[in-house]
Amino acid sequence: MDRDIYLIGLNHKTASVEVREKFALTDCKHLEQGVVPVEGCIKEAMVLSTCNRVEIVVVGEGDGVINHVISCWAQARGERLDDLEPYVYKHKGLDAVQHLFTVASSLDSLVVGEPQILGQLKTAYHEAVDRNATRVVLNRLLHKAFSVAKRVRTETGVASSAVSISYAAVELAKRIFGDMSEYNAMLIGAGEMAELAATHLLNNGIKKIYVANRTFERGKLLAEQFNGEAIPFADLFSQLEKVDIIISSTGAHEAVIRAKDIRNVLKKRKNRPMFFIDIAVPRDIDPDVNGLDNVYLYDIDDLKEVVEENLAQRQEEAQKARGIVEAETQTFSRWLRSLELQPTIVDLVTRSAAIVEEELAKCMKRLDGANGDTEKILRNAMTAVAKKFNHEPISFLKRRHEEEEAGTRYIDITRRMFNLDNETVQDEPHGHRRRKN
Amino acid sequence: MTLPELLSLLIIILYATGTLTVIAGTVTRNTNLKRVSNWCAASGFALHTAMLLFAMLGSHFDLSKGYYIQFLSWSLLVIYFYMWWRMRISFLGLTAAPLAMLLFIGSFSLTNVHGKLPTEWTGMFFGLHIGTLFLSFGLLAMAFGAGLIFMRLERKIKTKAPLNEFDKDMPALATFDKVNHVAVMAGFPLYTVGMASGFIWARLAWGRLLSADPKEIVSILVWFVFAWLFHQRLAMGWRGRKAALAVIWLFAISVFSLIGINVFMPTHHSFIQ
Repeated sequence: MDRDIYLIGLNHKTASVEVREKFALTDCKHLEQGVVPVEGCIKEAMVLSTCNRVEIVVVGEGDGVINHVISCWAQARGERLDDLEPYVYKHKGLDAVQHLFTVASSLDSLVVGEPQILGQLKTAYHEAVDRNATRVVLNRLLHKAFSVAKRVRTETGVASSAVSISYAAVELAKRIFGDMSEYNAMLIGAGEMAELAATHLLNNGIKKIYVANRTFERGKLLAEQFNGEAIPFADLFSQLEKVDIIISSTGAHEAVIRAKDIRNVLKKRKNRPMFFIDIAVPRDIDPDVNGLDNVYLYDIDDLKEVVEENLAQRQEEAQKARGIVEAETQTFSRWLRSLELQPTIVDLVTRSAAIVEEELAKCMKRLDGANGDTEKILRNAMTAVAKKFNHEPISFLKRRHEEEEAGTRYIDITRRMFNLDNETVQDEPHGHRRRKN
Repeated sequence: MTLPELLSLLIIILYATGTLTVIAGTVTRNTNLKRVSNWCAASGFALHTAMLLFAMLGSHFDLSKGYYIQFLSWSLLVIYFYMWWRMRISFLGLTAAPLAMLLFIGSFSLTNVHGKLPTEWTGMFFGLHIGTLFLSFGLLAMAFGAGLIFMRLERKIKTKAPLNEFDKDMPALATFDKVNHVAVMAGFPLYTVGMASGFIWARLAWGRLLSADPKEIVSILVWFVFAWLFHQRLAMGWRGRKAALAVIWLFAISVFSLIGINVFMPTHHSFIQ
């Protein structure tokens, strides 16, 4: 019977947000069997559902797998099959593998390179494991997907530069100041983006955060959140001397800070550099501030531009990453093919023959002056031991192969037990399982 | 081939490899290459030190003009390794390795004019004169390299121009300014001591302080610029672009003084008498 990997799904490219909402599978925990139960033609199943995509990966048998999955999906949402079908992509075999690797590496994401998807995929996989819905193939496929994602992250620059406004601002600050632990920052006004930037600054080890807000109480609350200090808005200019990074986001209709205000501050600071981040619209800081020496001013448009450049750069790096995904897909397909009885037996016998030759060579070196006869006798003896040793595992594998499900599982175990694929074992490959116990 | 010749050849090869690898490492953004470069420079430097010591302690110590240049090349690397040790910045290898190599190779074009130095050339003041001036030259060279990259990066950040991969690998602006700070704060006192000991030595050896030598005139000019920069940095809080630009000029005049005057002008500092 032809068993294969199938991937059925929809994402932000194939379906509008209304459709995605309608067919999202995030709240299907009540279905005890999962959205796609492991029974009949379905042998293994895993469902990933986020706000941008739904991916259903199954190992199935026969011709009706795809239609079966789609109807299960529509049923789980209580919607009509015809409403779903046009938005769905269907991959089979290596296409499915490649698609999953692409998704895991965040090459298919709305913002290429954002790492959330990998975490979501891990959660989805663990749910499937808990439901006992995965076997040899999906286990291997998902572990491979995680390692591909890791490789893409470390070997390409796909996730290296900031693609959010607040993070881009912090990255610029690092370009100016380097080690943040000697520097202070000030928030003027509060807002979501400013708070986010402050959080990033704290994560990068900034010394202290001051908050100047028009309503002092609100500023105080915010300062507590960052373990910082609130200062009255009226004292703003006298306090500016202490801070190196200023994030401004007040609702003022005209500039709060002008070059003439800063000139004095700079003199008191002995020209130590200042970095102004103006994320307010209309702007809080007069652009002429940027004209001063040792002062840098970025407004929201400048930061947007930085983000766009970084995004373009990510796209370029994504090309490199796709090469990695393709290569890894080929590796996986080799493993998939080896999951048959005959090649495994051959590998096992070859492995033991190689060990025999290796040990024989060592023996002959030690037996100085031994002739060809001795070598023959030794080889026969060692080969006999290897053969007898292999006999039981091989006949066990053959017996199990008669059964439907156990066959591939034991073949996989054998391959791993004798390391027939010459793989290096990663650290804590089953860490997530151990933690639960 | 004699031992000193073999040693020199080995040093040149090590410095050249160091130079090529630091350039290649920066262009291809390969940290391993940069590490190789540092090792090459360090082992070349060790040999270089040994060679200078042997020459100095040898029976027929020949203070040839080439020796000075080799010593200058050595001082440059001393400063580089010091900066690397203190601030963990490897990009200065881009300035140090090629300059040390060029100076070292250049020193051999001068050795053919041997001419033993007069005995009075070996006083303590003379040693002080050479040593301190070469160290301050090394400091200026590092600050020059740092200054050039600082100017480029600072302009880009200020005008919000896109940064390329090279820029992104560079350390923060503050680090470059720190190099400038160290170079000015340590370099100016060293330079002053060097100048003073030179004049004292001239007074002792020749009986006069000044001799209107072109080298002396330019050196005094450099001292004034240096003093002004030292003051501005210390008292006026100059930093960043202005300080970087000033050091770039200072270094340019020093190089002119070292090459232009010592080689092409009639002076008692001449390398080719």
